[in-house]
Amino acid sequence: MRILVVEDDAGIAGGLSATLQQRGYAVDVCGSVAAAWSALRAESFSAVLLDLGLPDLDGGELLQRLRASPAPAPGEGTLPDPATPVMILTARDQVRQRIAGLDLGADDYLTKPFDVDELEARLRALLRRSAGRAAPTIRHGDLEVDPAARTVRRAGVLVDMSPREFSVLRVLLESRGRVLSRQQIEERLYSWQTAVESNTIEVHIHHLRRKLGNDRIVTMRGVGYFIPAESAA
Amino acid sequence: MSPSSRPATTPAGSPAATSVADPGAVPPPPARAAAAPGRRQRSLTWLLLCWTLGALVLVWGSFVVMAYQTGVQEADELTDGHLASVAALLLNLAPGAAVDSTRATQRTDMPWLKAHDYQQSLSVTQWDATGRLLTHTGTAPLPAFETPEGFADISHGVPATPAWRAFSQWDAAHDRKVMVLLELQERDDLAEDIAGQMIEPGLWLLPVVALALGLAVRRGLRPLYTLSHDVAALDVAGTQRLAARTPLREFAPVVASINTLLDRQQAVLARERRLANEVAHELRTPLSSIVLNADALARGLPPEQHAEALGRIGRDALRAGHVLNQLLALARTSRARLQESDAVDLAALARQVSADYAQAAWEHGGSIAVVAPSPAVLHGNAVLLELAVRNLLENALRHTPAGTRIEVQVGSGVPPDAAAAAAAGSDPAPAAWLQVCDDGARAGTPPHTPPVDSLRLGHEIVTRVAQVHGGSFGPAPAPAPFTTCWRIALANSADTQEG
Repeated sequence: MRILVVEDDAGIAGGLSATLQQRGYAVDVCGSVAAAWSALRAESFSAVLLDLGLPDLDGGELLQRLRASPAPAPGEGTLPDPATPVMILTARDQVRQRIAGLDLGADDYLTKPFDVDELEARLRALLRRSAGRAAPTIRHGDLEVDPAARTVRRAGVLVDMSPREFSVLRVLLESRGRVLSRQQIEERLYSWQTAVESNTIEVHIHHLRRKLGNDRIVTMRGVGYFIPAESAA
Repeated sequence: MSPSSRPATTPAGSPAATSVADPGAVPPPPARAAAAPGRRQRSLTWLLLCWTLGALVLVWGSFVVMAYQTGVQEADELTDGHLASVAALLLNLAPGAAVDSTRATQRTDMPWLKAHDYQQSLSVTQWDATGRLLTHTGTAPLPAFETPEGFADISHGVPATPAWRAFSQWDAAHDRKVMVLLELQERDDLAEDIAGQMIEPGLWLLPVVALALGLAVRRGLRPLYTLSHDVAALDVAGTQRLAARTPLREFAPVVASINTLLDRQQAVLARERRLANEVAHELRTPLSSIVLNADALARGLPPEQHAEALGRIGRDALRAGHVLNQLLALARTSRARLQESDAVDLAALARQVSADYAQAAWEHGGSIAVVAPSPAVLHGNAVLLELAVRNLLENALRHTPAGTRIEVQVGSGVPPDAAAAAAAGSDPAPAAWLQVCDDGARAGTPPHTPPVDSLRLGHEIVTRVAQVHGGSFGPAPAPAPFTTCWRIALANSADTQEG
C-alpha cells in the first residue's frame, strides 16, 4: 500500500514516513500543494494523508482539485484518481473545521497529536472501504488475511510471511479478478526513494506460490498477475 | 460615586463592554441572568401605567371636586333666585288674593317626574305695614316680622341652627311685606343632586379611560418589547448584529451602540479564535512529531535513522517548550497590565536586550545594531516592553536567512515616516516607538525556509503589549538598505490607564 504524506513539517513528515514504513506501507512525502498535485498526477496512491496548513496553499485546495478531477474510464488508470481516499491530519480541532474538511471531500479527519495505532486503524478502514469491503479481514477460499495483525492463515494455519510478501498478496487480493502488471504492483508497494530490482516482484510471487499453492496466483503471460475472484455461487 | 466604582447595572451592553475592554477576563454572565434569583425586577410597563393612571386620577379627582362645588353653588343660586322670583310675583298681586291656610292647596305629589328634586316646597308669609300677619302658607314656622329685607338664614331651636333660607321684601308703597322661605335641607338635597349628576359620568368613565390608557401604553411600548427580546436573543459569540425591526428615532443610538459593542466583541472573539488556532498548530505540530518519532524508535530503526529520530524528538521538545513560553508570556500580558508601570527608557532597554542576542546573531552570520540617538522615556511596564523587544528580535533572527543585518531603531514622539498622518490627526502621537528592521529579503539572499512556528504568536504578543500601552504594532516602511520593518508605537501609560 502506497501512501502519500502531504506535510510541511519535517518532524511529522519524517516520523510518519518512518512509522508507516515500519508497518509495511510505502510512503512518499510532499511538503506543498504543488508538489503533492504533481505526485498525484504522476503516480497512483492507495491513500493520501493531508495536512491543511501548507506553505503555498491550504491543503483543502488540493482536496478540491483531486475530487474535481475527471473519473477514469473503466479499465483505464487515468491520474489523478478522484476516488483516492484522503485523510486530513491537522491541528485544526474545531467542530466546524472538521465538518468543513469532511465536506470538502475528505474520508477521515484526525487532529494532531494522534495515536499512531489509531492512525493506522483509520488508514486500514479507509483502504478497506475504498476496496469495497466491510469486513476487517480479507477472505479468499481457505485463505484469511488480517491487515491489522498482518497475518495470513491458510485453512486456519498461520503462514509465515515477510512484510513485502504480505503486501504483494494484499495488493493482489484487493484487486481480485483484475490483472496487475509488475509495474502496477511496484507502484503500489514502493516509494520513489526505494530502489527496486527488476525481478523483485517475480521473487515475491514465487515465494507466495510456494507458501499458498501454485493455483492461488495466476500469471497472464505478457501482462501480469492476478488472483481470480471467487464466483458468487 | 466614581465611574470605576459604579456597579454594572445596565442590561445587554455591559457584559459585552466588559469583555471588550478586557479580552483576558472571565466573561461575565449574560445580562438576562444578572438579576438576583427571586428578586422581582420592576417593569417599565408597570411604572408607566402607574404614572399615567396616577396623573389621570389626579386630574379626574380635581374635575370631580370642581364639578361638585359648581353643582352646590349653582343650586344655591337657583334656589335663591326662586325665592326672590316668588316674592316679586306675590308683591305684584293684589293684596288679599291669597286664600287663608285652611283653604290652601297642597303641592301635588308627582312620582313620575324624574327631576322630582326641583319641585321644592316654598312657604310664604305676608304682613301689613303694622306687622299684622296677612297670610302664612307652607310648612315653615312663622318667622319674625322684624327680619330685615333680603336673603337670610333663619334659625330655630336651641342651640339655634340655620334651618330655613328666606327672602323678604316690602312692596313699593311699603304697606305690605312678603317673605318666601325654603328649608335648607331641601336646598342642600337639590345641590347634592345636581353635583352628583355632574360627577357621575366621570366616575363611570374613569375605569374605561384607565383600561384604554393601559392598552395604549402597552401597545406603544411594543417596539421596546421587540427590541428587548432581540437584545436578549443576541448571541455575542456568533456573527449576529442587532436589526432595528421598528426603526424609531429613539432606538437608533441604542441599536448603534449595541452593534458597535457586538462588532468589537466579535472582533475580539475572532482574534481569540485565530490565536487559538495558531497556538493549536504550533503546539500540536511538535507534539505530533515527537509521538511519531518515538513510535518509530520503539519499533526499531537503523542507526542513522535512530539518531535522526532522537535529534528530532529533542528539537521538537524544545520547540514545544518555546511555544509554551510564548503562551505564558501572552498570559502575562493580559494579567500584568500596567499595575507595575514606571518610567522606562526604551533606548536603554533596546540596547540591553540586543546585547543578549549578539551571540545568536553572530552564529546566524549576521549582526544586530541599535540606533537610538537620545533616551526615549515613557511610562510603562518594563517587563512587558522587554518581552515585546525580545519577541521582535527572536522573530528577526528565526525568520531571516543567514547573514541578515538587523537594526533596532528607537525614537521619541512621532516616527519620521508617520509625521504627515500625525499632523492630519489620523494617528495619535505616540510617546515613543521602536522598530526592528532587517535586510532578510535583500537581492541575492541565500534560500531560507523559515520555521513554521511562532511568528504569528510572537506578533500577537507584541500586539497585546502595544495595546496594553495604548499603542499599536504592525509593519512599517523599511528605510534603506533594510527590506522589512516591524514597529511598535507606544503611548504613556498615564494617558491610557483605565481608559
